[in-house]
Amino acid sequence: MATLSLLGMLRRSLVHRRARSIAALVAMTVSAGVATALLTLYADLDAKLHKEFRSFGANVVITAPANTALQTDALVRVREAAGPDVLAAEFGYAVSTTDTGTPVVVAGTDFSAVRRLDSWWQVDHWPEDGATDAVLLGQRAAQFVGNERSVGLTYAGHAVTLRGVGRVKTGGEEDSRIYMPLAAFTAWTGVGPSVIELQIPGNSARIEATMARLRQDLPEAQVQAVRQLVEGESKIVDRTHALMFGAVLLIALTVAVSVLATLSASVLERRRDFALMKALGGSQTQLMGMFLLEALVLALAGVVAGFVVGSAAAWVISEGNFHTSTLPHLSVLPLVLLLNVAIAALAALFPVRVLRGLQPAALLKGE
Amino acid sequence: MSEAKVQTGPLVDPYGSTRDDCAVIALKQVTREYAGHGSVVRALGDATFSIVAGEWVAITGPSGSGKSTLVNLIGCLDRPTSGELKIDNVDVASMSATELDRFRADKIGFIFQQFHLIPYLSALENVMLAQYFHSMTDEAEARAALERVGLDKRVSHLPSELSGGEQQRVCIARALINNPPVLLADEPTGNLDAANQTIVAELLQDLHRNGHTIVMVTHDPEMAGLAQRRIALSHGKVFCHPVGGPMVTLRR
Repeated sequence: MATLSLLGMLRRSLVHRRARSIAALVAMTVSAGVATALLTLYADLDAKLHKEFRSFGANVVITAPANTALQTDALVRVREAAGPDVLAAEFGYAVSTTDTGTPVVVAGTDFSAVRRLDSWWQVDHWPEDGATDAVLLGQRAAQFVGNERSVGLTYAGHAVTLRGVGRVKTGGEEDSRIYMPLAAFTAWTGVGPSVIELQIPGNSARIEATMARLRQDLPEAQVQAVRQLVEGESKIVDRTHALMFGAVLLIALTVAVSVLATLSASVLERRRDFALMKALGGSQTQLMGMFLLEALVLALAGVVAGFVVGSAAAWVISEGNFHTSTLPHLSVLPLVLLLNVAIAALAALFPVRVLRGLQPAALLKGE
Repeated sequence: MSEAKVQTGPLVDPYGSTRDDCAVIALKQVTREYAGHGSVVRALGDATFSIVAGEWVAITGPSGSGKSTLVNLIGCLDRPTSGELKIDNVDVASMSATELDRFRADKIGFIFQQFHLIPYLSALENVMLAQYFHSMTDEAEARAALERVGLDKRVSHLPSELSGGEQQRVCIARALINNPPVLLADEPTGNLDAANQTIVAELLQDLHRNGHTIVMVTHDPEMAGLAQRRIALSHGKVFCHPVGGPMVTLRR
């Protein structure tokens, strides 16, 4: 039983003009694919960039008033106020003299906390957990000790001999310090921790809110943001958002031009077919409906193919740049669909004008 | 070359007093002008004539004489600049484009010189396409129309698989499918070889015998001779419409 339906005619028409149909489908797939990839990355961008920025170290520093130490429960209060996902490390500082007679800043800290907080530090060998006499020598500080394996330090007349197990290199003031376990540091110098460095995840709003809580809970201490990091992160996130939006729009426009060319050629090629349909009684609305349906079908097919391709591309890009995989985000699908349909509608404007101005009489005469 | 005598349909007096009453096509002072570059081109001027139901009329004239303009107007593909044009007693001059589309689907069956079949649809589907734009498709009717033109064995063939004569017969079946009161044939044999010209001519004669009104544009004197009447055009003017309809000998 032969039937003649609109979709059947559309399918036959698309198959008949394979090359043109494939060109249009590829253009729509590229548009949907790029939009999917960028929007998927965009959806994960905040989390990924914040994660990247976390590796840059502390973004908030809490310091005790000059020449005093923080209260002994300060770290517990910080964790309560800032939340469980905050990385924090305490530091106590003292200026001691090395066995070569050179003054050097010795810092007491929790190595396991610092290792997570300052993962960007270049350390050739971290002190083992639980060791009380192991020290980390700053790249410059190492030059001021006689023997790295047996580091002799004196503070207020109290001498200790510690075991150098590795070097730290940051390019900053850490290079001039010697780091040792906090408990041993306090026992030796009698100085408690005066600084807590924090890495608060999230955007600048969360950081500001957390800082406000910290100021409230630790009124005796000074809570300060590492401005260049917090503001830099915020700016980079904003700029990356704008860049990605711009890229989506630019690519969408480029693809729209390509789809416009393809659809226009498709209509121009089939002017006689449309003229015939008009001569057979096809109304302007029916003909435009047929053409727009074709553009819509191509747009939808492009969305399906583009979503798969774009999600795969986002996964590859994410792996390559952020070292984490990005799963397909179904939430971007409505936006991609909207974009592709808008492109198809935009690209169909000129061909629809051609259809409106169709002169069946002249075309069917072969003029 | 063999010869075959073909009887034309019943003659109707084109100048009879009842002519306008039974006219299926009636033009009164019809003019069609086109805007040119700073001037107006009159493609057809003050055309007045009528064609009665069941009549076969040939429209002849040299290139640029206004034949196409006249066919476009009768085919409801265009509207006159002035004058009155009635098809099946309905004045189409004042119709909107949408009304004209609907009217065309109901009243006119087109037969084109270049067949104009949709290349990706079968013969049957090409016939059904006219049904699709008219009302609803009916496969049995479409098959019957193809059988009527001798193509019952070629229904599922694509146009590219049919000869020129067969394609023209599909075109004729498509023109007939909605039973329009007027068949408008524009050089129906212009693209055919002699054998297929004869087949198509016989088919048109058969349709005429069965009461179809045929308006045919042709350059071919032999085809024009098959018609009962000839409307000759020159420089946009209808200058003669002699009564025709003699016994015609078709050369094969």
